[in-house]
Amino acid sequence: MSAVIVVHGGAWAIPDELAQASVDGVKSAACQGFSVLKGGGSALDAVEAAVRMMEDNTVFNAGHGATLNNNGDVELDAIIMDGKTLACGAVSSVKNIANPVSLARAVMDKTSHVMLTGSGANQFAESMGVETVPTDALVTEYERKEWEKAHDTVGAVALDCTGNVACATSTGGIRNKKIGRVGDSPVIGSGGYADNFSGAVSCTGHGESILKVTLARLIVSHIEQGKSVSDASQLSLQYMGERVHGAGGSIVVSPSGQWAATFTTERMAWAAAQQDELWYGLEPSQRNKDCIFTVVFKVKIHSNMTPEGQTT
Amino acid sequence: MLPVIVVHGGAGHIPRERSEKSMSGVCYAARAGYSLLQGGASSMDAVVEAVIQMENDPHFNAGRGSVLNVKGDVEMDALVMDGKTLASGAVSAVRNIANPVQLARLVMDKTSHACLTAEGASKFARAVGIPEVSQESLITEYARMRWTKNLAPDANPVESQMGKMGTVGAVAVDREGNIACATSTGGMLNKMEGRVGDTPCIGSGGYADNQTGAVSTTGHGEAIMKVTLARLILFHMEQGQTVEAASDVGLAYMKSRVGGLGGVVTVDPQGGWGARFNSLQMAWAAAQDDRLHYGLYAGERFSESLQTP
Repeated sequence: MSAVIVVHGGAWAIPDELAQASVDGVKSAACQGFSVLKGGGSALDAVEAAVRMMEDNTVFNAGHGATLNNNGDVELDAIIMDGKTLACGAVSSVKNIANPVSLARAVMDKTSHVMLTGSGANQFAESMGVETVPTDALVTEYERKEWEKAHDTVGAVALDCTGNVACATSTGGIRNKKIGRVGDSPVIGSGGYADNFSGAVSCTGHGESILKVTLARLIVSHIEQGKSVSDASQLSLQYMGERVHGAGGSIVVSPSGQWAATFTTERMAWAAAQQDELWYGLEPSQRNKDCIFTVVFKVKIHSNMTPEGQTT
Repeated sequence: MLPVIVVHGGAGHIPRERSEKSMSGVCYAARAGYSLLQGGASSMDAVVEAVIQMENDPHFNAGRGSVLNVKGDVEMDALVMDGKTLASGAVSAVRNIANPVQLARLVMDKTSHACLTAEGASKFARAVGIPEVSQESLITEYARMRWTKNLAPDANPVESQMGKMGTVGAVAVDREGNIACATSTGGMLNKMEGRVGDTPCIGSGGYADNQTGAVSTTGHGEAIMKVTLARLILFHMEQGQTVEAASDVGLAYMKSRVGGLGGVVTVDPQGGWGARFNSLQMAWAAAQDDRLHYGLYAGERFSESLQTP
């Protein structure tokens, strides 16, 4: 069994003007997470690093680049889960934090709770010394102009060299949502789930539909019944489409290193790194491959965000 | 066999002086829900009514009688789910309303969202005309006493909380065969501000599906979340296990995997039902075929005609 990380940057009708940047963003994040795994780091550390990178990337709807609610504010949700212990941390409707996934991790590591919301989550952040970021710094020009309906989310799943799996998901939610709207992302079993016995899942798409079918937990239950990660994902997304007419996407990794990136939306930006190979795609049935060394080198030259820990 | 309703008033350790009130409270709630079902009302109406009765009853950890967070405030969570459409509504960390389950239902019926939290939930309550109530009206002497006691540095809120005051919930199948669940709570004693437990999380605090059944859970919230207990039990039922076996397997798994205790009320589409728990007690009551069944300790099952006043 070899270490693997899969990331997604959201399942939706990604417009052409964002397509290349989305693919570049997931590739960078996958490389970032993979470097953690290669260094012997845990699946938890790897998914957190990958999601942090995407939260910092304004092309994605999480952290920087998040959408506005109908009051013009940024409210963020995130979850992280450890497949070994089933420990979990989540935050919902937290404001003005650059990296909600790290705050979710702190909830898991530093409190006896699983989930904190609203001003309570912000107070916890303050007590942990986490800086708040002004709304202006989080919201992009694109976002201020575009209030049409669209939604995406970022996430990662990983298997490390000791056989532990983990997942993480982070989002700014749907555009123009009601204040305090909580979608699937921070809800355990919907936005994500991780269990060493069956695998780790992170979901994206129409949040309310994902909640109705507890999509992450549904995919895991199919794996428990002996289905492959690919079949489990397809069956579950198909069920979501038929039963509640919702579209979305999922990334999955099993304890044996099998992985899948599946979606029923028009596009999903995703990337997977395993054994020094980087797979990625955007359109349905698309599956491209790069050598990780090449990608890392290119990213270092062309990107302002140098992946930490990379050597060339 | 239809209709049927099962309610719970919390799993854990209910002190003797309160157990009588817990029992009369769950029986009253089951009767209230059942009379609606007999009149042809939907399972959603029935579970919401049963839970409203328990929210209004100060002996339960929901609505009035809710436990206090570490700051001495009341923050409440609730969930409803419709097994026909899989629609759900939830509120988390909501303040200053008497019936969070009613607000959760309005989230489901009046918005395109599934969950509203904190200030957003309060704003929505105002928008739909739900009256704001003072926090004082929700706080009982008993809740305040428990809070004070648990401020002591060596107190363990999980242990001392377990069922001394209970989350409430209900599951039902109506005459049409539609299934619903509802759960409501003030959460964990002395919890951090903004702490959200299992109750408003779909698949954890409850789940309902016309094809399989419905579950409402109570117990150690964080443990219930880690195993998504309600959804887990229904997975077992989808695999062919009975209501009781699936519930017991789910609870046993939660205990062995993450060390948490709790209880559930469960129904299947044919009207089979169960009230199962691995804590010391769970106050529960079920109404079916004009009979009321109820119990508190494991193995107890009292029964009386619903014609008895």
